[in-house]
Amino acid sequence: MIQLSQITKRFPGIIANDAVDLTVRPGEIHALLGENGAGKSTLMQILYGFHAMDSGQILLDGQRVSITSPADAIALGIGMVHQDFMLVPTFTVAENTILGLREGTGAMLNLKRAASRIRELSEQHHLAVDPNAITGTLPVGVQQRVEILKLLYRDARVLILDEPTAVLTAPEKYRLFTVLRGLRAQGRSILIVTHKLHEIMELADRVTVMRDGRNVASVAVEDTSGPELARLMVGRDVNLSVSKLEVPPGPSILSVKRLSVRDHAGQRKLKDISLELHPHEILGIAGVDGNGQSELAQALLGLRTIEGGSILLNGRDITEARVAERRALGLAYVPADRRNVGSVADLSIADNAMLTQPRSNTRHSLFNKTLIRARAQTIITRFGVRGANDETHASKLSGGNLQKVILGREIMSAPKVLVVEQPTRGLDVGAIESIWAELLRERAKGTAILLVSAELEELLNLADRIAVMYEGRIVGVVDPASATAEQLGMMMAGTPLEPTGVSS
Amino acid sequence: MRLLVRRLTPNNSPAAIATTMLAAILAAMAIASLLFLDFGANPLSAYYALFHEPFGTLRGFGYAVVKATPLTLIALGTIVACRSGFTYLGFEGCFTLGAAASAWLALATAPGQWAASLSPLLFFPAAVLISFTVGALWSGLTGILRARFGGNEVLISLMSNYVAILIVKYLVAGPMRAPGSLPETDQLPHATWLAFIIPGTRGHAGVLIALAAAFLVWMLLRKLPLGFELIVSGLNPAAARYAGIDVARRTLLAAALSGGLGALAGLTEILGVQHRLMDGISGGVGFTGVIVALLAEMNPIAVLPTALIYGGMTVGADAMQRRAGIPSSITFILQSLIVLFVLASSMLRYYRFNFAALRSKKEAMQA
Ligand SMILES: Nc1ncnc2c1ncn2[C@@H]1O[C@H](COP(=O)(O)OP(=O)(O)OP(=O)(O)O)[C@@H](O)[C@H]1O
Ligand SMILES: [Mg+2]
Repeated sequence: MIQLSQITKRFPGIIANDAVDLTVRPGEIHALLGENGAGKSTLMQILYGFHAMDSGQILLDGQRVSITSPADAIALGIGMVHQDFMLVPTFTVAENTILGLREGTGAMLNLKRAASRIRELSEQHHLAVDPNAITGTLPVGVQQRVEILKLLYRDARVLILDEPTAVLTAPEKYRLFTVLRGLRAQGRSILIVTHKLHEIMELADRVTVMRDGRNVASVAVEDTSGPELARLMVGRDVNLSVSKLEVPPGPSILSVKRLSVRDHAGQRKLKDISLELHPHEILGIAGVDGNGQSELAQALLGLRTIEGGSILLNGRDITEARVAERRALGLAYVPADRRNVGSVADLSIADNAMLTQPRSNTRHSLFNKTLIRARAQTIITRFGVRGANDETHASKLSGGNLQKVILGREIMSAPKVLVVEQPTRGLDVGAIESIWAELLRERAKGTAILLVSAELEELLNLADRIAVMYEGRIVGVVDPASATAEQLGMMMAGTPLEPTGVSS
Repeated sequence: MRLLVRRLTPNNSPAAIATTMLAAILAAMAIASLLFLDFGANPLSAYYALFHEPFGTLRGFGYAVVKATPLTLIALGTIVACRSGFTYLGFEGCFTLGAAASAWLALATAPGQWAASLSPLLFFPAAVLISFTVGALWSGLTGILRARFGGNEVLISLMSNYVAILIVKYLVAGPMRAPGSLPETDQLPHATWLAFIIPGTRGHAGVLIALAAAFLVWMLLRKLPLGFELIVSGLNPAAARYAGIDVARRTLLAAALSGGLGALAGLTEILGVQHRLMDGISGGVGFTGVIVALLAEMNPIAVLPTALIYGGMTVGADAMQRRAGIPSSITFILQSLIVLFVLASSMLRYYRFNFAALRSKKEAMQA
């Protein structure tokens, strides 16, 4: 049994954890829920020895333990899978697994023995992985299995998983849940951070809700419900059912014809993509990650060399135009990778808020500090960025809050066409609500929106049409009003259905 | 209760920075004074000579300014390159070529030469332009190799130093050689010398170029969108591309600017101090300037006092050798120690004294 008691952790300007208590029993899956920036990752990182707590104590089976580094945590049988994986991409699975371990007596690594033990473990826990595969070449779902295997190899009794499902496809997610249930049956404790209420209801035994760094409730899952958890977490009722204004779409503003793109390795990533996008319209792009959706978004912005086809924006051929020209013509883009592409970690929110158009913040061609700060402040208030001011570095923001800054910046540039990729990945329900509302407001204003998302619920709620991509092609366009999740799932797996209710 | 408590954020107040720097310098001096003992010298009088000469006498101060001028320009070049994500170490080459370019133009204004009619009013802007351009083209070459072909700029720029130095060696041994035994050019015409602007010293007008450059670099990095784009390209090229910044072009620009600044350092040395071109005029400033930039934490304004102190110590070293009989190589050791200690001292700003602990300990002892 693991007990966290009165854990307090301050960061400059914020109390990330404020006297938090948390108890996890053996054989229990314990979910941790809370808004973006509520302090979940911080608490988990304290337990894993990544951060030092300011006060409080950790008890393992009633004994007070001191965890000052991940090595301490591992020695005590505590393991963690981070929000962003920590694997060396050029190493094999076996090498990654024993990384940091002191194996055997000799000075030499025994990779063969490690590999055979990995095979044993992966069979025992139904985590199919080839120990000799190069980690970087594996899909995310498999990389995550490697992370879990790493913990099992170290025989962790307590497994911490920080938002493990955010990057998984539905089948991968169910496989993960099966594995976790198996581990629970062996009496291990599992602490899982997630924003998805239905996952909690489905998987967890107990759930702890955090708000503003405090533990506001720890309840058994049977005794609660999704809406109640949402209310506990946000402090008000959350309404995710959207009401869309019926606006007739105008004439096409973005027209893509037979677009083809190859990646650096020469692989065809987009094959003859054609689509039309209209003002007052949200065109959803569905598909399993890696079927060309990101490449499509990047090609539209000019971040990919185009092999064939054309892109017309407002009647102008922009196929050859550079990124800056496209932006000047009214394109804006929220990329999927918010940490490494959408923002610069070492710059402040104010600087990040002007990242894509620094030249519009000048007076007499010199930067105008007042203007820059005001713009950042507007984004912070209008989009509800929590626990930060305009001087906070982007690296200090929680994922959800950073996403709000990026979306806010792109929307504030008053685009004609807004390309958004995975806008709510890793966001809490309160934040999802506000981001959905912002996207719909943009739609009402007349912006044409291309929404790439792996969340079917999001697409079904927001989109006016949904195009499904499979292996670089659009396999069909469906009307969300009549489409079902099953139907979309089939199409995403590559079965071209007779699309119902196709519009233009 | 511990006496030293770790802070959440470093204390970056000017007072804290000054205190830690001073502590670092004193610590380095204390250690270096052990080396003096071997020479039977009194560390106190040696250090007095070291600092009194450059900062207590007008003549010495003039020399300190002269030494600080090229250091400043090269440090500024380092800052522009480094903040833009371009690790350029080719300043020895830029310095030498910049010196050669301005010497070439200066010699062309000698009576009977093609530029003899060039008025001094035009000569100096023209010399700055030519030197800067030569330096910019030279470092731009490294920039192109990196931006277009993905070459490693550290390696290329380091090697390019040798090429540049050998080119100038060839020039002074051949085409530009003055009749005589030594491989060097004629003395430059007096009209092309930078004016001595600190009366009674060798302090020349080159320092004005350095001051102007510091101001311009500060403007660029702090006040201009172009500088912001350079910084973003340096911090995160993927995000820069996403934001519509042409990263390859920005890298090239940063490379050219920094090489141009390095070449101006050569100009100040040739028109302000040497007044003739010869082999080996750089004497390592191309690297010392990089150290100055590091000590100034890549801040273009902080470069000014840092370069002055660093240059002043070089001047003081000679005085120390004369007065206390301590070889100037000891000063070099002292300078290196100071560099190491100052660079490490930023760590101290993460701690604060917990005086309450001290008091309670005292009370406990009394009890
Ligand atoms: N290294 C850090 N330095 C300063 N502040 C930090 C640091 N890490 C986190 N914070 C701040 O602490 C608070 C809690 O962050 P934490 O990452 O624990 O949130 P979270 O609950 O995991 O959010 P999310 O759901 O978005 O992942 C946030 O306000 C964040 O900005
Ligand atoms: Mg988190």
